[in-house]
Amino acid sequence: MSTTDGPTLIPDDSSAQEIADREAKMRRRKGWFPGLSDKWNALPRQTQWLFLIIVVVIAYLLPILNPPLITTEPGNNWQIALAQMSVYALIAVGLNVVVGYAGLLDLGYVAFFALGSYTSAMFTSPDSPYVHIPYLWTLPLAMAVAMFFGVVLGVPTLRLRGDYLAIVTLGFGEIVRILATIIPAMKGQVGFQNVGHPPGTDSAGQTIFQNSNGTPWYWLTLSIIIVVLLAAGNLERSRVGRAWIAIREDEDAAEIMGVPTFKYKVWAFAIGASVGGLSGALFAGQVGFVNNQKFDIATSILFVAAVVMGGTGNKVGAILGGALVAYIPLRFTAIAEFKYLIFGAALVIIMIFRPGGLLPARQSLLAYGRLAYNKLRGINGDIPASGKVVLQSGKGADK
Amino acid sequence: MTLLELKNISVHYGRIQAISDMSFSVEEGEIVSLIGANGAGKTTTMRTISGLLSPSAGSITFAGEDITRMKAHIRVVHGISQAPEGRGIFPGMTVEENLDMGSYGRKDRTKVSDDLERVFDLFPRLKERIKQLGGTMSGGEQQMLAIGRALMSNPKLLLLDEPSMGLAPQFIRQIFKIVTEINNQGTTVLLVEQNANQALARAHRAFVLETGSITHRGTGKELLANPAVKEAYLGVG
Repeated sequence: MSTTDGPTLIPDDSSAQEIADREAKMRRRKGWFPGLSDKWNALPRQTQWLFLIIVVVIAYLLPILNPPLITTEPGNNWQIALAQMSVYALIAVGLNVVVGYAGLLDLGYVAFFALGSYTSAMFTSPDSPYVHIPYLWTLPLAMAVAMFFGVVLGVPTLRLRGDYLAIVTLGFGEIVRILATIIPAMKGQVGFQNVGHPPGTDSAGQTIFQNSNGTPWYWLTLSIIIVVLLAAGNLERSRVGRAWIAIREDEDAAEIMGVPTFKYKVWAFAIGASVGGLSGALFAGQVGFVNNQKFDIATSILFVAAVVMGGTGNKVGAILGGALVAYIPLRFTAIAEFKYLIFGAALVIIMIFRPGGLLPARQSLLAYGRLAYNKLRGINGDIPASGKVVLQSGKGADK
Repeated sequence: MTLLELKNISVHYGRIQAISDMSFSVEEGEIVSLIGANGAGKTTTMRTISGLLSPSAGSITFAGEDITRMKAHIRVVHGISQAPEGRGIFPGMTVEENLDMGSYGRKDRTKVSDDLERVFDLFPRLKERIKQLGGTMSGGEQQMLAIGRALMSNPKLLLLDEPSMGLAPQFIRQIFKIVTEINNQGTTVLLVEQNANQALARAHRAFVLETGSITHRGTGKELLANPAVKEAYLGVG
């Protein structure tokens, strides 16, 4: 047609297609369990639910089963270990909303955890001169406080991207810790003892939620995790969830698709922060003591490591990562001192062999588009011959 | 009717001026091409129109409405859609998910399937690959996907930023053919290109950009025949 088109010895449509196919095949990632998530999605809904219910029942029975080999005893009390693992799992689920879904690297997440802990402690501990309210009331309050600070931090900083955001959040994490040290009302290293707990006594008149008894705390946190997971799952499939994924993939492209990127980034930050606050309050209640020593940067990095290890963007992976990060030093007490060394090495190894984390994310993002596709299929009959597409179209129908 | 009008637009990156005092307009139903060398300000112009950059001076009017201060995601709803430079598709999403994102801002969801049909008519290849991840497709297919995704918002004005970048001549010809086809279906197209030959041949009107301002303007054919343009951009002379 024109001079710049050059010689016509170039590949024609079909051979160009072949090349593209070959390249695509090479680029496909191989996991440890290839096709596991496909198989899972192909199962009928009832089977999926049945399987999930079994997993949940086993999770609830864990403190009673005390399975040999897996248990952290004799080194550490197994029930308390479980309670701590569940708190870390909840943290990871919350951070996963920020880092995993929206792709915002938040290195100061410990700040929200600290805010939740302090909220719970300052309103229930006898060491605190302020108003005292029942412990359970501090859970929503901790969420609200953390969410408020999430928005306060998010609005000015979420205009930054990537590394810059990471640096600013890192700074925020430190600010909260240092404020806890220098503000007299937050009692620095002395801290707050006898943080409250949920009400209730057993038949013998003993308090159920004792600091030394991990089981009720574990069950409480596990129940909260399930509720948060259901909520996160719904968010993930909603317009908000799709907007987050789009922002993570390409922020500019998301904006010109009509996604109000700034608004949704603040949303991700606020929702993540509130879950962080909630887990902080649970942690404070279970341990019964809050001071400024637990909220350092290393802890913050550990949270991020939990999410990355489990599989950024996958909520089940986040639970696994969070639980593992708490479990490993408790189970292998001999190496607990070197836990950061080991996590570092583990992360490097995981990033090499499994760049998507232990359970890589793969969301299904279609919302109303699916209706359109089904309608189109109805109009135009079958999709043109391509084995792969035909195979999957059967699967799409039962979703 | 004038669909888009830029008046005395200047854009700065910090202190560096990328575009100075630029004015031009796009009439409804046209294909308008902006050509120019690297660093002439082509992409900056596009990003200013789509709202990803805000001008330091001047005004932008779209369909009779001043949109100078309007956010990018609202401009989409008003009918400006961009296929960004370097394709800018979502690599981790499948073709259908990418297209679905294209209709994100729409209120009239019942019409989405009509547009989907239109996109699949223009790019049958996309229909064959609806389940493939965007990032694993070839460059030409990604470009098709980017244009298809931009069309999913049913825009009045389609902004194409270097659709031929990095493509085999084979695909370039096909893409430009489709651009004309899209225009024939009633969508106004503003095209930014380094491939001056194709861009001028397809355009009703065209502008030549040099270091942030327009140096030549005219119909596509006039510019193709213009000796200065020929020498600088067509490699003839």
